Amino acid sequence: MSKSFDRYASLLFFVIGAAFMIESQRITHTAYGSKVGPDVFPFLLGLILGLLSIKLFFETLKYENSTKEKGKLDYKSFGIIVAAAVLYVFLMEPVGYVISTFLFLLVGFQTLERRGILKSILVSLLFSAGVYVLFAVILKGTLPGWPVWLG
Amino acid sequence: MNTIQFLSEGFQTAILPHNLLFAFIGVLIGTAVGVLPGIGPMSGVALLIPVTASMTGGMDPASAATSSIILLAGVYYGAMYGGSTTSILLNTPGESSSVVTTLDGYQMARQGRAGPALAIAAIGSFFAGIVALIALALLAAPLSDVALKFGPAEYFSLMLLGLAAVSGLAGNSMTKAWIMTVFGLMLSTIGMDVVSGVSRFTYGISSLYGGLEFLTVAVGLFALGEVFRTILHKENSDGKIAKVGRILPTRQDFKESSGPIVRGSLLGFFVGVLPGAGATLASFFSYIMEKKISKTPEKFGKGTIAGVAAPESANNAASGGAMIPLLTLGIPGSGTTAILMGALIMYNIQPGPLLFQDHPDVAWGLIASMFIGNLMLLILNMPLVKIFAKIIDTPSKYLLPMIIAISVFGVYAVQVNTFDLFLLITCGLVGYFLASNDFPLAPLVLGLVLGPMIENNMRRALTSSNGDFLVFVQKPVSLVFLVIAILWILIPVLMKLRGKEVIINEEA
Repeated sequence: MSKSFDRYASLLFFVIGAAFMIESQRITHTAYGSKVGPDVFPFLLGLILGLLSIKLFFETLKYENSTKEKGKLDYKSFGIIVAAAVLYVFLMEPVGYVISTFLFLLVGFQTLERRGILKSILVSLLFSAGVYVLFAVILKGTLPGWPVWLG
Repeated sequence: MNTIQFLSEGFQTAILPHNLLFAFIGVLIGTAVGVLPGIGPMSGVALLIPVTASMTGGMDPASAATSSIILLAGVYYGAMYGGSTTSILLNTPGESSSVVTTLDGYQMARQGRAGPALAIAAIGSFFAGIVALIALALLAAPLSDVALKFGPAEYFSLMLLGLAAVSGLAGNSMTKAWIMTVFGLMLSTIGMDVVSGVSRFTYGISSLYGGLEFLTVAVGLFALGEVFRTILHKENSDGKIAKVGRILPTRQDFKESSGPIVRGSLLGFFVGVLPGAGATLASFFSYIMEKKISKTPEKFGKGTIAGVAAPESANNAASGGAMIPLLTLGIPGSGTTAILMGALIMYNIQPGPLLFQDHPDVAWGLIASMFIGNLMLLILNMPLVKIFAKIIDTPSKYLLPMIIAISVFGVYAVQVNTFDLFLLITCGLVGYFLASNDFPLAPLVLGLVLGPMIENNMRRALTSSNGDFLVFVQKPVSLVFLVIAILWILIPVLMKLRGKEVIINEEA
């Protein structure tokens, strides 16, 4: 539990709550036959969230900053895999399911352990082709097929 | 029609060949989920929703819902079985409800009695599953009859009570739990308002008109969040796996564990019914209780079979008990049941009192399939326990990227757009950061699922009272629910002020 994270989080949630209150005012107030329109519930929620985040902020003033070291975090692998995942999602429709999945898995496997490249290639190939055949060919589901330039 | 008749019809649904297959796949995957450290029942169920959705694509809505809920529920209680395996063999619980099992289970394994410990865990879980099932069948109809008499005001207060219970027990900080609950409720307001047709908080983004897809959020928060955590923290279980050895328990083992199994099942069931409590608390309570009433309390922690039998029965009974508020009231008491509820809503089936009238085949089919699933688990777990123990060795190198790939595949297969894939990854990151800073995720999902229902009931109640908020305290039943909800929040606060330790539910 990090004190500064909680502080920033309380600030962020306060802003979200305030934004919800302000923005809910722009929603039409009336729903016919009822005094309670679609704006009431979001407005109340925004109010409650704002109050809770103030409470959280004051709580962070009280507790000691516990600096328990959890050991070194593997930011490098994490960064590579998140980036690969974002790229994967970007490329899925243009490049097609099989190719993008194959590449993502290969990068993922090799990032976590840089050994056995042949086995990694084999596993990613089996997975991406297997899912595609099972889902798109046999079950007739929708998955982006092959890129246009492959014909 | 009476309960027996409904139940027999449920069995007819459940023993259809494809439903048997679904139950089998469910408990098999569930056991694997329970065994694998890193995937809990919540992310396991979330991950499988899209897979089941595509598997049942060709069926009509009601039977598709029945089949997928049979599979997903199988994952849920299957994970309870599987969790015990790693607790006993590795001293690392596969999920939080098996933490207590490590105390005596691992000791037994070190003494070479891993086989009987696993067998008793399986038998206890089976017995507990049956107890929960009978109670579920008996209580479901009367409870939903009572719930049918509730008006919108009563429902609103009841759901607030549900939220209060879950938030009150989740995580270390109640403020954070409440923030997550309210945040989940707020996310549920995004999209088209069903009453007035006005779009809210969409800002012209067409993908938002339908609201944030529950499935995407749940898979992202739980499955991806877990994967990211595991990658960052490089968690590797290098522990030595104990030998299983001879499986069949001795007559003495049976004699020592029969009492704990029965008591654990009953206690677990009642704890499971309560919203907010759940399998983890149930297993703790039953262990403590057995230790208290035992004639030889000094044996606990040194490998007594009662210390395995009681918590394992209790956590399984609790997962059955948790189905009661979900099916009869439409109020999930835990993160996993919230996800099950989201899955049902995806199929246009609203859990709640009307479920037993409108879709008796879904409700009773599920109840009957739980019986069959428990039987399958017992048969599966006794001879196959050695094979399941091998799953622990699956290298995380392959597992983690594959979980991401399955999540992406699943979300795309159901939603067919890349907007949801970006939302998925965002939720994964948000889920990781929130969870690692003690912001519990289960209340968020609960808020997201219950949000539309809470809002509708609130507005209906307020419409009939002409906007007067006092309507919620003027109706006696509603008032009672609200008072209980307030007590639920206040009592732990007061206890903390007096310096007492409050038990919290880590499981979510």
